[in-house]
Amino acid sequence: MLKMTSVRKTFRTDTIETHALRNFDLQVEEGDFVAVTGPSGSGKTTFLNVAGLLETFDEGDYQLDGKSVQGMNDRQLAQLRNEKIGFIFQSFNLLPDLNLFDNVDVPLRYRGFNSAERKQRIEQALETVGLANRMGHYPAQLSGGQQQRVAIARALAGSPRFLLADEPTGNLDSNMASGVLDLLSEINAQGTTIIMVTHDPSLAQRAQRNIFVRDGQVTEVQTGTNIQELLQQTAQV
Amino acid sequence: MNQIGPIFRALLRNKVGALLLALQIALTMTIIVNAIHMIENRSSMMARESGMDEANQFHLMYVGYKDSFNERVAVETDLLEIRKLNGVVDATQINSTPLSGGGWSMGLTTTPNSQDGTPVSLYFVDDHGLNTLGVELVAGENFSPTEVTYRLSNDKQWPQNILLTEAAAKNLFPDLTPAEIIGQTVFIRDDEPMTIKGIIDHLQAPWVQWSNVNNVMLVPQRGLWNANRYLVRTEPGERDRLMREVEELLLAKRDGRLIRNVTAMDEQRDDAYQDFFALQTVLWVIVTVLTLVTALGIVGMVSFTVNQRRKQIGTRRALGATKGDIMRQFMLENLLITSSGLIIGVASSIALNIWLVDTFSLPRIGWHYLPIAMVVLVIVGQLAVLGPARKAANLSPALATRTT
Repeated sequence: MLKMTSVRKTFRTDTIETHALRNFDLQVEEGDFVAVTGPSGSGKTTFLNVAGLLETFDEGDYQLDGKSVQGMNDRQLAQLRNEKIGFIFQSFNLLPDLNLFDNVDVPLRYRGFNSAERKQRIEQALETVGLANRMGHYPAQLSGGQQQRVAIARALAGSPRFLLADEPTGNLDSNMASGVLDLLSEINAQGTTIIMVTHDPSLAQRAQRNIFVRDGQVTEVQTGTNIQELLQQTAQV
Repeated sequence: MNQIGPIFRALLRNKVGALLLALQIALTMTIIVNAIHMIENRSSMMARESGMDEANQFHLMYVGYKDSFNERVAVETDLLEIRKLNGVVDATQINSTPLSGGGWSMGLTTTPNSQDGTPVSLYFVDDHGLNTLGVELVAGENFSPTEVTYRLSNDKQWPQNILLTEAAAKNLFPDLTPAEIIGQTVFIRDDEPMTIKGIIDHLQAPWVQWSNVNNVMLVPQRGLWNANRYLVRTEPGERDRLMREVEELLLAKRDGRLIRNVTAMDEQRDDAYQDFFALQTVLWVIVTVLTLVTALGIVGMVSFTVNQRRKQIGTRRALGATKGDIMRQFMLENLLITSSGLIIGVASSIALNIWLVDTFSLPRIGWHYLPIAMVVLVIVGQLAVLGPARKAANLSPALATRTT
């Protein structure tokens, strides 16, 4: 359902060319929970951006749900992001001036749902993350873990096929991180495909599949592999 | 438009910036509405007709400086000779003219010793006055040559017959028709009776800002004063030539007088309304600058907001907003702020106008100014926000995953 073949992405300035992704091949099946790890600068975030249609790529092919995204215009890409992908960001990216209800409502309004359907979806999504009783609160009134739960509710409300999570526990303490990960596992168990970028080997080990990215290229590793060791080896090289 | 609720609620969370911009828009609207009202008011005053054939008229002043100068002989011979000049339609002596800014006014009443006088401006003319001025009789008769008398500076007596403009006659006798007003008696200087012999259609007093500018009385007298004025009406296209010829004719007499201020009536109109024109220019500059400053204020504020919200914009794009959605968001936000400013602006425009009416006797603003100003300011606001909104729409969705 997500298939990248020989994807290349290069960032260019006047003097420097950075090959963020080179011949990047990856196939993710429906229901997978994939953890993507790798050292800083390895291309993890670029992969996530390309996978989430936030950034274009230079070469190769990327098929989402069997459809090549190459050549799609901005409106088509926005529609795909809105309908098929849910994003969870490291720093939550909640809109500070909107309460929880309105934050979860953002993608649903772009989707064009009527107000009754939006209300039902928002309430259900907030219920799922255990924050249904705080709909009128603003992000600043919540803890980091609660904010990330709202972000997950926002990602889930549109019933996406994929959840793309960029260091979803990066700004949380271990207790909160564990809670968020439990929640992601539950969501995955209900059939949503999750791709999670993380630095944390212990979190990666809770995913079904582990992908290690190094120098813009992907290596599939066995779940349970000592990723900490891999990271250290990469750092020594 | 389905974003309007969250945008409104978000604005309420950030009241200060939005309120300041709304107040700027309200202030702009207040000043613009009243300034344009003043401009239009001055334009309509400038467009009023004096009642004269201005394109074909000129006047000049003469002052006798020698003891031998005989004013009565001069005026009789001068007018006969001027009227004979080729291209002259008619000529009269007159104490003042419309648009000149200087003249004589008195109060007329319909009963002797009444307190409620109708102010009228006086022009002393002879039986050629109507034709020279280019005014029409609506009712009654013109002065006859025999009833034209001479008036010295210290004369207190008033002639028996007068002509009035229709506006003055209506002020005095609001319930009578022009034909019924003919033969009515009015009183000057409390108890001196005068009979209305004729009513002319329209003639302005000399003072363009006078509230009774259409109230004029023609008196059949020639002045024997130190300085006198002739008004000359010419055939179309002959005025400029005759301005020189008449001046030369009078100078050639070498009878001890100075000729001054040979002035075409349209030139006098320009002079009369010079202050109006200057005021209009200043007001237009204020309106333009204020509108530009407001537009630039909006550009600055929205640009600042876009820079502040780069990550939020990226997040919205990541969540499925199209470029159009982002543009609409900023334009709607501006529309809401502008609309609140305009609502305050309507109230403050009316308040300022009430103060101007009370303080400077300006007319009330027409209701149509308010919707027009609102539409214009909404358009200005939307145009101002267009650039920064487009910049916001072009931000990459990938900003959502960047740390700054």
